Amino acid sequence: MSKEILGRIASAGLNDIKKAELKKTFGKDCDDILQNLIDKEQVFVKKKGVAYFVWTRDNYILHLSQNDPKFKIVLNMVMGISHSVAKVKEHTNNIREEVTRISQQNMVNPKSDFKAEFDRRMIESSTSIGWAPFSEIRKKICESKKISTENFYSMATDLVKRHREKYEVSSGGHEGIIMRGLVHGYVRNV
Amino acid sequence: MYAYQLESNPYPSSPTPTEKDARILGGKRHKEAKSAILECIKELNTKVGGRDSNDGDFRVITLIQDVGSGKTHLALHIKHLQSRHNTVCTFLDLSTISPKTMSSLCNAIIKGFENEFFVQLRTKLVEYIRDRAEQGDNSAKKTLDYSFMNKLSGMTIKQKAEDLISGKASVSIENLKKFLVQWFNYYESNLIRNIITNSFDTVQNLEELLGMMAAISKLSHRFLNKIVLYEIDEFDGNQESIEFVKGIINAHLPASILLLISTPSGYAEIQGKNHSVFDRLEKANYKIDLAGSNSQEELLEIVLEYIKHNDKKGKFTQKTQDELAEKIRVLYDEFPEFRSVRSIINILYHAMEKSAELDLEKIDETAIDESIKHTYPGLKVRGSIMAIPISDFITLRRTCDGESTGLQLKRAVANLANFAHEMGNIGKLEKQNQPLDVIYQDPYGSKIGIAVVVNENHTKNYEEISNISKSSALVDKLVILTNSNIPSSESTTIVNVDKSKMVDLLYFNNKYTDHKIATLDNEKAQMLAKTVSII
Repeated sequence: MSKEILGRIASAGLNDIKKAELKKTFGKDCDDILQNLIDKEQVFVKKKGVAYFVWTRDNYILHLSQNDPKFKIVLNMVMGISHSVAKVKEHTNNIREEVTRISQQNMVNPKSDFKAEFDRRMIESSTSIGWAPFSEIRKKICESKKISTENFYSMATDLVKRHREKYEVSSGGHEGIIMRGLVHGYVRNV
Repeated sequence: MYAYQLESNPYPSSPTPTEKDARILGGKRHKEAKSAILECIKELNTKVGGRDSNDGDFRVITLIQDVGSGKTHLALHIKHLQSRHNTVCTFLDLSTISPKTMSSLCNAIIKGFENEFFVQLRTKLVEYIRDRAEQGDNSAKKTLDYSFMNKLSGMTIKQKAEDLISGKASVSIENLKKFLVQWFNYYESNLIRNIITNSFDTVQNLEELLGMMAAISKLSHRFLNKIVLYEIDEFDGNQESIEFVKGIINAHLPASILLLISTPSGYAEIQGKNHSVFDRLEKANYKIDLAGSNSQEELLEIVLEYIKHNDKKGKFTQKTQDELAEKIRVLYDEFPEFRSVRSIINILYHAMEKSAELDLEKIDETAIDESIKHTYPGLKVRGSIMAIPISDFITLRRTCDGESTGLQLKRAVANLANFAHEMGNIGKLEKQNQPLDVIYQDPYGSKIGIAVVVNENHTKNYEEISNISKSSALVDKLVILTNSNIPSSESTTIVNVDKSKMVDLLYFNNKYTDHKIATLDNEKAQMLAKTVSII
């Protein structure tokens, strides 16, 4: 019955519902159930004149925010403070993230650093038709960046997939990135 | 009848292009490459026009690109255009010749020409002998076997020559040899004799082969006023191929263009095997670049061109073109398997056959789905939790960019929460309370609010998210599903909804509202609910 009573109160929305009306509908046990809901802070009861009126918790807050100017001011102040705190927190987080990002960038930004190095080595290794073998780029980058072959191909695969419109790969060769089950040993800029 | 009221399937079905398939050429980059080759032909034609050709009238073009990018197609297309550009063309596929002896290479070159070419050349050569005979050259008369008796009987030299051209009469080989030796060099004489007698000698070595090629070029220019385009496909690091091509380049065939077709790996092999040839290729007159030949726009233009070319009834309107293009775009974006001309043409060939079988007006998602099921049986939509069929995926993926997507997603999320409640994963849903789209209690009694913020305009997203965040006080946990890349804050959990998740949600929603969620789907739907933080 608790659910039904709560449902009836909720259905009244921002408008209250008389306690007497609930009693009429749900009988004597209504008092105990209402008290239980009040204890759980699920409903709110207010005396106006000789009658008692009931709301759900959320609806009562909304009712007050619309009808009670004092409450409205207090709520806005609280919300304002809460938002300000949240904004400050967010701002702090953003600054923290930015500081981390910049410091990481200054040390080494693996992805953009790899891209720049890859592009440079590709130009160095390409023939007049623009194609460059991955093996040559790999040798140069692994040596200069002190990274493993596996690491190089993992980053190269990621780079080519992320910038699909910028790089073109061609099948063949003894080593390269694997696409559609084929070794693609040559790359160039489009 | 095929889709778009076509009478035949416009797409080729062979894994490599045939001369017939190559009559159609689509794609901006392929057309630019075609223009470059035609430019080279035009330039050489202009240069040698009205004079004898010499060894300075030789050009090399390289066409280097990955397999399946349309190189052979382009070469065959150019061959098809030969008569329009004052050119004769032979196409030679080195991969079909083994062993690569001088004799087999020579046969392949001769077979690579259109038969019409030798017929025309033979006619011109006989006419030349006739002209000499008419000018009183006894040697020419003997070649035509024109005797005093012929003259007495009233037969003219012209008639005798015509009999020879039509095959009613034959030449005297010995006299022909004696005649030719006066006017032509050794290789030219041999070639003319071979052409007139319709019987080609076997070449024994590279010198003879190059001599014959030079003779073909010289005679084509002199008698037909045409330059020769030698198209050599599948050129790679094979030693015999390299020696052969090196010989051709060094021979400087008069009034000729050598078009070499290779792949980047073939090109690298040549570099490793023979620096001298590689150096010559690096110095080619034209380097045809098909960069971006497998890009989305290029592929689209190519595949649409096939239908446009065959659309005699004008049924392939701009609207239907756009519709088909959208479907192809989805295939290209989501399936790496369809990022080459060959693979996409293969699918469209089968889809077109399916359209005829099902009597479809256009190629729809079902036709594509059925084609993919047959030709790529194991293919699945990557990352899809709901295991969406490809046809549904294509349809839904296309709608993901629409303005109503946000509203549809709100309904999908509400239904997913309903489903989770029905499955006993979450408590009862509460009445919707703006700006939250769904409010419910989790199994621990906490109040969860979910809002969907999906707009094309990300600035609008940020504003909406900022406003919704103010409602966090009304619930214990606020979850915002958005397509913008925003980090979660202390008070709000942000779930990024990418295109594949959107499609999953919309697919679930369709099934849920149609009461088609089967038992097998339950687990998938619950997994989907987890990924969007409902469970």
